[in-house]
Amino acid sequence: MTSTATLREAPPVAPVGAPGQAGATGAVRGPAPPPDDGVPRPYGTILAFLLPALTLYAAFTAYPFFRTLWNSFHKVLPRRSEFVGLENYATLAGDELFWRAVRNTLIWASTSPLFEVTIALLLALALYAKVPGARFFRVAWFTPVLMSYVVVGILFVWIYNYDWGPVNAALRWLGLGELARAWLGNPNTALPALIAVTTWMWTGFNMVVLLAALHSLPKEVIEAAELDNCGWGQKLVFVILPLVRPTLLNLVVLSFIGKMKIFDLVWITTKGGPLWSTETVSTYVYKRAFEWSTFDLGYPSTIATVWFVIVLAAVLTLTYAFRLREKLEY
Amino acid sequence: MRRLIASLTAVATAAFMLAAAAPAAAQTEVTLWTHWAAEKIKRDFVEDAIRRFEEKNPGVKIKASWYEKTALYAALKTALRAGQAPDIFYAEPDQVEYMENGFLLDLSDLNWQNIEPWAKEAWSYKGKPYGFPLEASTVELYYNKKMVDELGVKIPDSLQLSPDAFLDLVRRAKAKGWTPMSLGVGDRPFPGAYLTHEALLKKLGTDDYDKLLKGKLPWSDPRVVDTLKWLRTLIDAGLLPTSFTSLKLGEAHTYFHTNPGAVMFLNGSWYTSRAFNPPDKGGQPKDFPLGVMKFPAVPGAACNDCRTLSVQGSYVANADTKRKKEVLAFFNSMASEEAGNRWLENVLVQTGIKSDVSKITGPNAEYFRLLAATNKDAKYYFGAPSQIMQGKAKEVFTQVINNAFPAGTIGVEDAVKQLQASY
Repeated sequence: MTSTATLREAPPVAPVGAPGQAGATGAVRGPAPPPDDGVPRPYGTILAFLLPALTLYAAFTAYPFFRTLWNSFHKVLPRRSEFVGLENYATLAGDELFWRAVRNTLIWASTSPLFEVTIALLLALALYAKVPGARFFRVAWFTPVLMSYVVVGILFVWIYNYDWGPVNAALRWLGLGELARAWLGNPNTALPALIAVTTWMWTGFNMVVLLAALHSLPKEVIEAAELDNCGWGQKLVFVILPLVRPTLLNLVVLSFIGKMKIFDLVWITTKGGPLWSTETVSTYVYKRAFEWSTFDLGYPSTIATVWFVIVLAAVLTLTYAFRLREKLEY
Repeated sequence: MRRLIASLTAVATAAFMLAAAAPAAAQTEVTLWTHWAAEKIKRDFVEDAIRRFEEKNPGVKIKASWYEKTALYAALKTALRAGQAPDIFYAEPDQVEYMENGFLLDLSDLNWQNIEPWAKEAWSYKGKPYGFPLEASTVELYYNKKMVDELGVKIPDSLQLSPDAFLDLVRRAKAKGWTPMSLGVGDRPFPGAYLTHEALLKKLGTDDYDKLLKGKLPWSDPRVVDTLKWLRTLIDAGLLPTSFTSLKLGEAHTYFHTNPGAVMFLNGSWYTSRAFNPPDKGGQPKDFPLGVMKFPAVPGAACNDCRTLSVQGSYVANADTKRKKEVLAFFNSMASEEAGNRWLENVLVQTGIKSDVSKITGPNAEYFRLLAATNKDAKYYFGAPSQIMQGKAKEVFTQVINNAFPAGTIGVEDAVKQLQASY
């Protein structure tokens, strides 16, 4: 609590180069001169340093973004494009498959972070408490994140196989054979089965980040809690969790954004099926751009634009909600 | 001196021009991007055709780049837009977007005498032909003769079981703990649809079936509903493997002929391109008792002899090619009965090039005799649904008819409703 409060009470850091304040550069060169001191600025050098980064940014981020936006109002065919106004947006509003993909993606993006971060926290606490074999478990639990979605996808197609997959084999061995099913072939279980895969894959990453956060907790705070006879549960709820809360929230947001863009795992395992039960917005955009026997890039651009707005709005909402909670807390 | 310099300059210029011209004449390079990187027998056929062509045309070299289909299609979409596409590339007749956008060279000047008329028709768009049809296939019902004998089922001389006899075969197989038919849609958008579209084609006949695929006949037509209900009876009787939705195409082959073994396997006639490989490369066991029968008769069918024949792997030419003459010469070099027979004998699947099955000899002659028997008196519908349907209808067909309906996860009414709404 103390450290957080201290940080919050610290005076705001002035921007680098602001009059009267020494920023990182100012500390070395002295106070920055006022802008109208008549000293010539090395604009050529500044530009030379900025240009490579700006060029890359313009070519690979800004231009594609504005081009996608432009495309969304056009029918974009090879050698010609035709302005269609809001027609693509109107079509998208009534596109049942798109909304199904949106629903699936939102379900995935809203449930997966909760599973990942909760399990990761428990695992990180276990390692923090130095359970026997902690060093081995740290490596073992982190390993899945090192694999590519392609490898993981192929692996889980086998694991979920109806006839000889380990999941059904285990169920049969436990006498629960009636629960065995084609996990990726059933519209009711395909999406949860894939959510389980991403949870398995990303929990290790979250765990490592949380473990680092736990290790960086101020020892004096923990010791003070122990002097006050706090048990493990109390230390966790009243000391550790509030201190790692910013890390937890960042992990939730990162996981949320990752799932909003998920493509590879779905493409390898189900291609959006069965019956669009695992269709995500990314797979739908790809299908519309490359698999629907058309060269038109206008409609897929419309989907990408709308989805960008939805993701941006969701992230801003999450950030705003978390800030609100912090304000309420203090 | 001046004259000497002028002479030397002239000689040097001539030598330079000759030197420049000679390699150019010998180095006319035609680029080809093609699927079949992993299908050795088809690749061998094409490489052999290139070698023969280059021998007869010493000034021309065909530079082939081999891809897998998905990667090829993605590369082509970008290359065509950027004007960087090769002179010749692999395509299939359902890719109408190439023709709609003027990317393909009109092949009217080709020697079409040795190409099957239906194959030319499959590649015709607004009255002009655009593709050289190498590969064609029918949907065949393969079976394990030994297992069928053990079930006490006799395949009639017509090679077509009645609806009741087929249902009986399915029930007998299930009673013995065998899977009646191997089929899987784990990695392909079409195997499950074989079942439905072959049944619908027989029930409706070619004209009405064509209308159905093109959205001119409603999916709620009573004949369509009856056929789906009949298929549902077969599915409910346990026709397909329990792992149908996750079973991949390659696995479905192995499931049929090796492990665990199924009584039947409904597949394109390109079954041979995998199954006739050595067993250690995924082929069927040596001396496997392979039989081929017709798809069963459908109750109340308009045309039980109707079946699908579709053109698949083909070559097309880039409309912007600067080597049109060489491209046409290469296609013409493959447009002969001799090349057609060579395709049949080596690739073991039908072709759009005219060929003579009676001239096939060797160990696979018996297989072609079987194939000819099942295709006797056949009335063909040219093109698979995936080649006829486009956009949303194709997507819904893939998800519903290829997957969910045969898997039993969607009922007849729902399937009809979804397909009807997709047009």
